[in-house]
Formats: sequence, structure tokens, C-alpha cells
Amino acid sequence: MTTNREYTLRLKVNGDAYESRIDPRMNLADYLREELGLTATHVGCEHGVCGICNVLVDGRAVRSCLMLAAQAEGREVRTVEGLAEGGKLHPIQEAFIEEHGLQCGFCTGGFMMAVCELLENNASPSEEEIKDVVGGQICRCTGYNAIMRAAHNAAAKMGAGGSSAAE
Amino acid sequence: MAIEIPKNLSELPTRQTRFVGRGIRRVEDAALLTGRVEFVDDVVLPRMLHCAILRSPFAHARITRVDTSAAEALEGVVAVVTGEDAKRWSFPAQSSPDGWGIHCIAGEKVHYVGEPVAAVAASNRRVAEDAAELIEVDYEPLDVVADPFVAMQSDSPRVLDDQDSNVMMDRIFTWGDVDGAFAAAPHVFNEKFRWNRLGANPTETFGCISEWDPMELNLTIHGSIQSPGMFGLGRAASFGLPSNKVNIISHPHGGSFGGKGGTRGCDISCLLSRKAGGRPVKWIEDRGEYLLSGGSQAWDRHYDVSLAVDADGVVTGLKVGLVDDLGATGEAYGAISAAKPLAAFTGPYTIPVAQYDLKLVATHKLPCGPYRGMGPPPHFFVLEQMMDIAARALGEDPAEFRRKNFIAPDAFPYTIPSGNEYDSGNYPEVLDQALALADYPALRAAQAEARAEGRLVGIGVASAIEPGVFDWNAYAIVGMPGTGVPEGATVSIDIVGMATVRVGFSLEGQGQYTLVSQLVADYFGYEPESVRVVHVDTQSAPPSFGPGGSRLGVAITGAVLGACERIREKMCRVVAVLMQTEPENIELMDGKFCLKGAPGAEMTVAEVAGTMLGRSDLLPPDIDPRPEATHVWTAPGRTPADEEGRAKSYLTAAQAVHVVQVEIDRDTGMVEIQRYCLADDCGTRLNPDTVEGQTEGSVVQGIGAALLEEYVYDADAQPLCTSFMDYLMPTVFDVPEIEKVAVVTPSPFTPLGAKGCGEGAIHTTPAAIMCAINDALSPLGTSAREVPAAPARLWKLIREANGGG
Amino acid sequence: MKSAPFEYAAPSTIGDALQILAENDPDEVKLMAGGQSLMPLLNMRLARPELVLDLGRIADLDYIRETDAGVAIGAMTTKRAVEESDLIRQQHPLFWESTVAIGHPQIRNRGTVGGSMAQADPASEYPAAAIALDVEMVVQGASGERIIAAEDFFVTYLTTALEPGEILTEVRIPRLQPGTGWAFDEVARRHGDFAIVGAVATLALEGGVIRDPRLVIFGAADRALRLRAAEEAVAGRPVSDETFDGTAAPIAQAVEDPLSDVHASEEYRRHLAVVLGGRVLRVAASRAGGGE
Repeated sequence: MTTNREYTLRLKVNGDAYESRIDPRMNLADYLREELGLTATHVGCEHGVCGICNVLVDGRAVRSCLMLAAQAEGREVRTVEGLAEGGKLHPIQEAFIEEHGLQCGFCTGGFMMAVCELLENNASPSEEEIKDVVGGQICRCTGYNAIMRAAHNAAAKMGAGGSSAAE
Repeated sequence: MAIEIPKNLSELPTRQTRFVGRGIRRVEDAALLTGRVEFVDDVVLPRMLHCAILRSPFAHARITRVDTSAAEALEGVVAVVTGEDAKRWSFPAQSSPDGWGIHCIAGEKVHYVGEPVAAVAASNRRVAEDAAELIEVDYEPLDVVADPFVAMQSDSPRVLDDQDSNVMMDRIFTWGDVDGAFAAAPHVFNEKFRWNRLGANPTETFGCISEWDPMELNLTIHGSIQSPGMFGLGRAASFGLPSNKVNIISHPHGGSFGGKGGTRGCDISCLLSRKAGGRPVKWIEDRGEYLLSGGSQAWDRHYDVSLAVDADGVVTGLKVGLVDDLGATGEAYGAISAAKPLAAFTGPYTIPVAQYDLKLVATHKLPCGPYRGMGPPPHFFVLEQMMDIAARALGEDPAEFRRKNFIAPDAFPYTIPSGNEYDSGNYPEVLDQALALADYPALRAAQAEARAEGRLVGIGVASAIEPGVFDWNAYAIVGMPGTGVPEGATVSIDIVGMATVRVGFSLEGQGQYTLVSQLVADYFGYEPESVRVVHVDTQSAPPSFGPGGSRLGVAITGAVLGACERIREKMCRVVAVLMQTEPENIELMDGKFCLKGAPGAEMTVAEVAGTMLGRSDLLPPDIDPRPEATHVWTAPGRTPADEEGRAKSYLTAAQAVHVVQVEIDRDTGMVEIQRYCLADDCGTRLNPDTVEGQTEGSVVQGIGAALLEEYVYDADAQPLCTSFMDYLMPTVFDVPEIEKVAVVTPSPFTPLGAKGCGEGAIHTTPAAIMCAINDALSPLGTSAREVPAAPARLWKLIREANGGG
Repeated sequence: MKSAPFEYAAPSTIGDALQILAENDPDEVKLMAGGQSLMPLLNMRLARPELVLDLGRIADLDYIRETDAGVAIGAMTTKRAVEESDLIRQQHPLFWESTVAIGHPQIRNRGTVGGSMAQADPASEYPAAAIALDVEMVVQGASGERIIAAEDFFVTYLTTALEPGEILTEVRIPRLQPGTGWAFDEVARRHGDFAIVGAVATLALEGGVIRDPRLVIFGAADRALRLRAAEEAVAGRPVSDETFDGTAAPIAQAVEDPLSDVHASEEYRRHLAVVLGGRVLRVAASRAGGGE
């Protein structure tokens, strides 16, 4: 068996296939931002608490700062850049606008990806289920109630067939 | 010609405002939500290097050796700087009080844990951090002082060698016959309080890219910078550059709340760029750096407060003693936070005389900086606890006790003992609305039942003032230099009639670009989405301070409306020429310039703009053909401070009453907020949705302050909260539903009658929650005097009250 | 906050993983499961291994299987998979409750059962549940497989009975005896934070008398602590306030040297252990017998 100082990574991001030679210590957030220029994934704490860097890996919301890029080998990653399609906002994005679910907008991607995982697996989540998912991220601007409203609104939109992204 | 800024919505040139005063979709959001907004860490410049900073592990030590050779030898490293470079190429930071600033990299000594000792610029951040670890530093540890009361003693270790003591300031400000009031009062209450360090923690830390031009000696800085103009002046001072040699390009940033900080790290990146021959150097402060030594910490306070109350329960005097632990230097302007309470010292009450015994003390901790509210939130925490202590002792209901002491609605403008003037308000109405919203009698009835069951249920009713639209005069007592606070905007209409507004501040979250678009849309008859709002760098921008001191909503409204007025006036002249009449006969209404009394004789804004730019030959020579104007707004009628610090400083005084119900778990000390109701009056609400957003966010920061957030240091001034595992901010699980009701008393002094409201609820929330906690504890005969009310603290109080050992 | 350099290996079989482990200095290797504890340590440079050995691609270690004795969970099974397993939720409710108390969904999506057990964080939920439930840890090493009882597995802070060169591969949870009452509770500053103190209990009732009580607390010492003296204080006694109040002294005594940090003093932790110990025993008793 071999070990590596350099790692050849193959994965898909937002449907596009990539192959990159990377330093194995590079985490997934840094890989997306530095190597692929996908800067919608923001970095808030780099130790897994704030949840701002959430992305979907095989449909599951994860902290991209708590995952080596190499661990995404062969996986399907989705980021905020993958939400809106064809110049049309995703229903979650629409819902955040309608409910004033963002202020500075820096953390919002982390919330959206967490909510996205939930809503793609659960068409009519309860208040508690939404809270459990929203509770994994820190927002310093909104005070969260607007984010909760946005998640409910998005659930209604996607439940009504507004989602283009459900697999 | 003097420009008249509309004082209320009906003065706007429209029959019915469609946007101002209403909640609308924010123009900022689509770009933010799709990741198309360029935060500074998203920026990549050619030949850019990345900075990592090596920081002191000691709170106080002599540096005996710095060896950078191994770091310099590492592949990918381009430049390394140390305290020698800082001394050679930069000046000590400006400070308040003056003379308490140090260089951006430590020289002979370090003064707090996390102080920069050296820094590296390398090909990427990973390599830069690898190299920083290779720098060898020898320290000779020195005695540490972490307690401000010890620091005030003459034999204490001194924080800065060139200062005579650790006391930065020690002064008593007396406003009126305070001794007489206390001597005459039948009731005098005295209590001590502790407010522990906490801070802003915006989700995005500070970041910058600095580019030193070695030929022209220009300095260009991209950054997540709250006040680009001020920041540029600061960098010019750091490097001895003329101010017009520094250009600041502020990027949208992930919140600030006053606590973005970053000046020290930015200066270090400038030094690195200079050493690297002018290559741009990016420094992104990581969360560990932010918590350890960023712009993160504020308000480390020890209070000793007395209240004099007459036989009728009217408060007749207030004495506040404050020992404010500002940390190692005065460079982060923590002192301002001790001065700002002068703008609302006696809160919403008619307290006629007051005294402020203020001691600013240096210790070996991180220098304190600003945080949302800038100092009054702890002040109102102690004032409101004193009001409750007095009410309880006199057997009065806390709500009615406050009502009795409120400034009356007909007493405005009202000058408080510390000199500031409150513009307007209706405090009894705000109280009534809050009590009605909460159904206060029902809350009290439910509390009585809960108490009968032995449950610790408490209700807090608290009121506070939010000083709005700051003015430097408010900080005169701590020697803060300042020369007015301008805010400018340039409105331009292009040849096909589309409007662009250039402002000097970037996105930060408060929705100010939406506000600008609302104003221009209603003024000239556009849709908000069609009004483009752009931020420009400091060398091109109109004069600007940006957000801060609850000012920007009011100030940018003044600037934008002023610019619109100037364009309207110019366009009226143009239309008058074209219609062969006098300008007085032309009127702008709903996007059209009309000839009064001649229906149908009208031109659209686009037609006028097109004519001005396309056919300037038709215009009289004294009319500048550009349909463009800049207006710079400053708060009117501000006055310099007298020798006791008294000034008309903040222009507006918003007021709020919060009613909170909590329950404390006797066994664990955990606090549950069961009800949260508030009424507030911030004048005209230019965008009620964004005002609500500011309020909600500020309540939640206040919840954090009351229950969770604290930077703990040990006795050796070692910080113990350097990750988000230990510095605890609220999550959705800590937040109750926040019930709100608005009272609107327009300000007579501001554009459209709006009052500053950005800092908002944090003025009242910690006070209200602590009032509720103490109401819950009162049957036990104990009370909480320390913020945050962490469960371990409350449990200890409960145990001791129960006679436990 | 970027990790120091390391080499990386991601074998796809347990055999290859053991071989890599054997070929390297065990002190210089960090095994990575879901990485939710290790990654922060790497990012902060508090862990600086020469080699990160990623077990996440060993597909053979990702399963939840019903067995004659109960359930067997592969070490690389995510907590989220446990959370979503009807089998666990219905037949191993204490383990399920312990699972959903860990962090947040986004953490449980990556964090694994084996990773948490092997991390042996004293404030972690899983070790306590494992001790209370008599979980068996299946371990593989160069010399084959061995089984370690949970109570012997957790040694002290971040330290288990795993020998250098060994890898935890499976966690076996025996089925609860019918009628067993169980309870889980914890106090944390915020939802999802590491507990200041937590407690789990199981017990049976026989004619109103407590039998086979188990009481384990976590967050109060260097490891999850089974409180035998407190168990003895309730065993054979009727369900009553007096019985449960009788655990206070033995619990306080057992928590000899509690942790102290910025969130809780020693005395507060000891007090919480007493409070939560009593609470979980009461709840367990209320659920025992004819079910919940």
C-alpha cells in the first residue's frame, strides 16, 4: 500500500467532473475555493462549529472544513453555485429573499445547503425537524427567526413542486 | 443655494410613496444568495502572496531573540517581517487616550497573548503557517497583571514601559448637585455589578489584501472594512503617508457590529508587501486569530452604582463608578465605549443630576474595541437593575416605577444632565404598548401560580435609549480626535434616464443599498431594482464614514435626498428653459417635470436627462449639463463638549421597552426565555422589514450577552476562549419568538423623521433578561449581579441562598 | 488555521489498513474515521501526524446488522445512518437517543460510530451509552480479532484499550431485556454542544423493586463513569423518592475529581452528576416494566 504527499483527486462538483493534484492536507472548503474558484462556499471558523461552509456530499450536508478534499474522492459535491439553475433562483433562495432570511449573507450558504438536504429528503418537515437542521449553523445578523420562516417557506415552495433539484 | 431635505414622507415629490416606509425585497439579496458577491477572501490578484502571523504565547515577556532564518529558507516564502521592520517602517498605532498605542509587531516586549511577533508572506496560507512555525523566538517571561484593581496599584507590573502607571484615565464627571441630591434622598441604593468581556464575532473575520507601491509610495488596500475613509486615514498615519496616497477598496463583508478590527494585521500585511517588493499580500484573519487577538473583545467592566430616590419614588440622582479594563493598549478605541454613555447617561428617565467616576485601566489582556452599542448596553444593564432594586425596596411595580420616572412626551427636546439632547419620544406610549403586547397582568398572574409551585419564574420590564447618528463630540472626554462625520452620495442619471448612486461604504448586512434604491425610486419615479447602487474606493468616493453609531440609515437618507434635490433643482431649470418659463413654475411629481397649471406639458426624467446630455448646446452656459449631483450630509446642530464632557452629540434618541419572562431550573441554573415582547420607537421606519431584522438580530446578540458570551482569562491573563467551543453565541435553540410592536414618533431633526436604529435592541435586552432573572430569584432573597448569567453562576447563587455550603 | 503537512492513505480494505499501520510508527499515524473530531485538531495544528490513515473508504465497515444477540454496527457507519435506522430506533432506543444528542445533523452526516468510540472524549455520549448497554468492541490487529467490553475499553481522556496497530471494526449492542427501562439526559450550554454532564441509566422492575440498575455519567471525569455504588443504592429497593435521593451521596463521592473549565466548576459538575443521575434513574423506572 502506498501513502501520498500529493494526491490525485477525482470528483464531481455541481455536475462537472474535476481531476486535481492536491496537497492531501487541503480541506474540501479550501479546495473548492482555491482550486476551483467556487467561492460561494464561505469559511467561518475552520473548526466545524459555525456551519457556514456546509456543502452537500452525495446529498448530505457536511462541513467542508471538516473534510479533507481527498475524502471527497469519487463523490458528488454540490455547492451554493449549484442551487440556481438557468438564471432562475432555487426555491430556497427565493424563500430567503421573501422572508428576509439574510442580512450580510455571509453565513447564508451554510444554512441553505443544510435546508436543501432536509427538503430534498422530507417534503413536509415539522418545526422541530427544521430547527434541528437550522440549529447546526451560526448566524450573527438575523437572530434566526427569519431563517426559520425562510425554511418553512421553502418547504412549501418545494412541496408544491417548485424544486428542480430533487433527485 | 441651500438644499431642503424632506423632513417627512409627504414632502417627497410623489403623490403616494410606493417604496420608502414599506418593506420591500432587498436589492442586495440575489447576488448574496448565489455567491456572486465578492468578499475579500474571494479576491485573487496577480502575484498575490499569503500572510500568516506568529503570535505571542505570553501575556508579558521580554523578547530576547528572534531568528527567522529557517522560515526564510522554506520553499515558497518570499518575505518575513519582525518588530524591527515595524519600527523602521511604521509608527505606533493611534490610540484613545493618546499615547497608548504600540507598533503592529512587538519589538522588545510583548504585552498580551496573541500580540504579533513576526509574520510571513508565502505562496499560500498553508506554507505561510508552516514558515511561521519555523521562526524561533526566545521570551523572558515578566510579571503579569490581569486584574484592573491590581493594575491600579502603584507597585503593579506596568503594561507599557513609557507610561507612569496603568491608569489611562481617572476622572470624576459631576453634572449638577449630586452630593446634595444624595444627602437629601430618603432612599439611597448602592450595588456592585460585573459585566464580563464579550464581543462582536461577525461570521466573516477581518481580511485584507495590501499592495505597497515602492515607486510612487502608494498604498492600495482591499478589505472587509467597515469605515473605509477612517481606515485609510489610520493607515496613512501608520506609515507616515499623505492621506491621498492611500486607497481603500472595501468589499462587502460578513457583518461587523463594530468588531471587525483588523488594523494591526492590515499594517503587517502592508509591511510584508513592502518587503516583498510590492507584491500584494493577503491576510485573512482566521477564527482562532480573531478570538485570540482580533477586534473581538469589548466591555470588561466593574461597576459600583448608587441611586437616590425621594419619598414619592422619583429618582433624584445617579452615581456610576466604572473601572473599565481596556486591556494592554488604547489602540482599539475601547475608551470610546466608556465615553458614549454620556449620550444617554440617565436613560429614559428625568434623573436631574448624575456623576460618572471613570477609571480606564490597562492590563495584560487584548485591547478592547467597539461592539454594537459601543458601551451603553452594560450601562443600561446596571441602571435598570438599580431601578428594579429601588422599585422592589419601595414595593412598587417595576413597570409603573419606570413610568413615573419617564421623561414626558411634551418635554422634548430634552437635555439630560450629561449634556446630550434627546430629539423626541413618547415613552409612556411605548411602555403601554409593550405591556399590552405581553398582557402584563396575565404574565404576573401566571408567575404567582408558578411561584406557588416553587418554580423560579421571573418577569423583566426594562427600558433604554439608543443614541442614534453619532458625533465625535460624544467621545471628547477620552481625547478621541475627530472632525465631523460626513456621509456623501452621488446620484447620476445617464443619457437614457437610468440612475446610479455611488456611495463610500460597502455591503454589511443592514440593507442600506435597498434603502438608497427606495429613496431614489420614490423621488424620481423608478422601480428600486432599476436603481443601481455601487460602492467606490476612497479615492473616488464622496466623503463617507459608513455604518457605525446607528447613523447610516439617517445619514445616507440625507445624502441621497440632498443629491436628488440638487438634480431636481437643476432639471427644473433645464425644463424651464425648454418650456420657456421660470423654474418656479416647474414641479417634479411621480417622475415627471410638469408645467404647473398646464396639464400635459411635461417631460419625464429620462427625457430631461437625455436632453441635458445629448443637447447641452440648448442649455444656458451656466447650467452644468450633467444630470448628476453629490450631497454630503452631516448631523445639524452638534456642539463641542464643555469641560465636563457635555455636548449635543448624538442626533436622535430611539427608545424601547422590553418585557421578558424567564424560568430558571433550580437544579441546573439553566435559564429558559419563555416570552419575549418589545415595543420600540425609532421614528419613521424607512424600511420596516430591515428595521425588524436589525431588532431581531440585536435582541439575539443581547441574549448572547445576558446568558452565553464571555471571554474568560485566567490569572496569568491567558485567554481561555479561543474557539467556538468556548465562546458561545446563540443558535436557533436559544431564541424565543420575538413579539414586536412599533410606536412611531418622527424625529423633528432628521431626514424623513427617521432615528438611528441599527444597534438597537442590545441596549435593552441584557438589562431586561437580567431584570427577569432577578425577579425570578427574588423569592430566594438573592440576585445576579454578573453578566452573563451562566448556569453555573446562577446555580451557585441558588445554592447559597438555600443555605447550602 | 491550516493543517501541518501529512501523508495520506485511504485503503479500501481492513487488511490494507492494518498493513499500513504495521509499516509505520504508530505514534506518527492518526486514524481518521469521519474526521469530525480529528479535523479541528489538524486545522489547529494540535494534531500533527506524519500520516493520516483514512478508514472511510473501507466499505466493509459500513453496516447495521441485526444479530441473534442484538445489533452489530460497522465502525465506519455514520451517526446519521444510526439515527435513520428503524431497527436502532425501535430496538435500541437508548443508543438512538444518545446518537441524536451528538452535535448537529451536519456533524452526524460525517461522524461515525467507531470514530466516536475510539476518540473516547470524556464528554461524549457514546461511551456512556456503550457502558450502560454492555456493548462489545470488536477490534482487529495484526494478530487477529479480539473483543473488549465497553467498560474496559475507555481508559482515560482520549485513550482507549486499543493497542498500537489495532483498529476498532465493529460495535455490538446486546438487545435490551424486555421490560428494561432506560433514560438519557444531559446538560449542555447550548443544544448540540458537548455536554457539561450527562447520564444514562437502564434498570428492570420486578414487583415494584429495582433490579439490575446501570448508571453511567459522562462529562464529569476523565472518562464515562459507571457508578456502581449508586447502582447498589437503588438495587433491590422500591421505586420511591427516598430510593432515588439515596443516590446523591454515592454519586457525589464517585465523582472524585471532576473536570473544571470555562463552562462549569468542579462543584457544579459534581452537583449536575447528582441531579442527572437521579433524573435518569427516575425516568428509567417510569419506563420499565410494561414498556414506556
